Amino acid sequence: MLQIVADGLIIGSVIALGAIGLSLTLSIVRFSNFSHGELLGWGGYFALSALALFGAASEGMGTPIGPFSFGWVMLGALLVACVLTAVLALALDHVLFRRLRRQGAITLVIASFGAALALRNLLLFWYGGVPQYYSQNLQISIPLVSRDVLGGLRITPDQLFVLALCLVAVTALHLFLRHSTLGRSMRASAINPNLARVAGIDPERVLRATWIIGGVLAAVAGVFSGITVQLRPTMGVDLLLPLFAAVILGGIGSVWGAVLGGFIVGLAESASVSIVGAEYRAAAAFVVLILILLVRPTGLFGEKH
Amino acid sequence: MVAALEVQNLEAGYEPGLPIVRGASLRVEAGEIVAILGPNGAGKSTLVKAVAGLVSISGGRSLLFGQDITRVPAHRMVFEGLAFVPQTENVFVNLSIAENLELAAAIVRANRHERLAPVYAMFPDLERQRKLPAGQLSGGQRQMLAVARALITRPRLLILDEPSAGLSPKLVAQVFDKLREVRASGVTVLLVEQNVKAALALADRAAVLVEGRERIVAPCAELLGDERIAALYLGRHTGKQAAKEH
Repeated sequence: MLQIVADGLIIGSVIALGAIGLSLTLSIVRFSNFSHGELLGWGGYFALSALALFGAASEGMGTPIGPFSFGWVMLGALLVACVLTAVLALALDHVLFRRLRRQGAITLVIASFGAALALRNLLLFWYGGVPQYYSQNLQISIPLVSRDVLGGLRITPDQLFVLALCLVAVTALHLFLRHSTLGRSMRASAINPNLARVAGIDPERVLRATWIIGGVLAAVAGVFSGITVQLRPTMGVDLLLPLFAAVILGGIGSVWGAVLGGFIVGLAESASVSIVGAEYRAAAAFVVLILILLVRPTGLFGEKH
Repeated sequence: MVAALEVQNLEAGYEPGLPIVRGASLRVEAGEIVAILGPNGAGKSTLVKAVAGLVSISGGRSLLFGQDITRVPAHRMVFEGLAFVPQTENVFVNLSIAENLELAAAIVRANRHERLAPVYAMFPDLERQRKLPAGQLSGGQRQMLAVARALITRPRLLILDEPSAGLSPKLVAQVFDKLREVRASGVTVLLVEQNVKAALALADRAAVLVEGRERIVAPCAELLGDERIAALYLGRHTGKQAAKEH
């Protein structure tokens, strides 16, 4: 039982970070971006390339830090992945979405399908289809709770790192949206773009910020997925349904809603592995999605605009 | 003397080739309150939205204190000294009162306390409830917040689209009293109004817009005695008209 919860929270933290970016795009850019999952994939692989580059350049920096499976170069690679994925998100907007914005949301959604296919196949072409790992070091999980208590709980230091950094990233984003002028401008633009314009908020600046934040969080989620599971070119499309389920469950535009939605979808996936088997894991997100749409279409924290 | 706002033969609309404002011209002197009146569909709201940069202009131009603002994007208008208060959805409902006002100050890169203090002095209710989400305010309070948010940017011209819409007569009186205070502080006011009686009582001059063009522009005192206005908007039948009808 405890293990299911812990595994669910680890999966949930990846989904939550990806879902925040998707939720921001939905509420501010105002379309369902089906290529958002691919940003997670590209983020993960950007870090892999940076890791290879840094590893070759700096001997010793790859030595694992304390109990973790990765060294300081991994943190550098994470930063590089964040920058490159944000640039990729901005480039996608500049080349594709910006030109189609006047055509309406449906055109943008179809374009995002095309972008997702292109990005995924580029990843496959560049890195190949074989799953990859950041580190070959094996990690032994630490027993935190004995087997006698609710089945016990074992967790690896990497998983704890992922969970902690997820909470730090979400808190930082919350403070940014709550207290900074740009963050408040983003919240204002999400609720009322026309009023935001006459209030003096530059819509292009808000859009750029949205793509950058979405790209950075997608990269972090992709790297976290690579650390805790593995890197696959199809990881973006595999995560897409859970991301949408988390956004809709939490309520479009709500950061904490996306986080809670991510954790709930993660828990549902983790529980389904134990109850019905790993092959039906993806169906868990789908079931959650259908239930929310039937019971509470605006989500847990959704606002009726 | 340079006008606060000069609209010259303005053409504007939502669809290309289908102008709603068709060659409207208007002059608003500095320090005036001017009301734009007219029947439904006359293009009153479209005219002020076009001036504010929200509707695309296909012809003519608008000058703010002599400066051409025809092609200035909507989000740059506050920096030119023009503040616009839309008719509905004119506050950010997901932000608190304080956040609405602080954001307005931050956008124009002004000192928050310096800008908020006089506005809170003018709208003490807003200061008392500053932590309340704007979405929880009543219609009248929202209108006050919308005006307060616009004033934070220290505009030279304040444009309001139907500030009395949906408000009770008592609240309309309160909002219009505040607009008198705003004018007294040196801000020129241009408003679109359906409430003709209240608008004529508030404004110095009024323009009657019909089919996208101004038909009558005159001091409000004159318009109050004008048979056409009385018949069209005040439901008043003058002696001459009554004789005609018989």
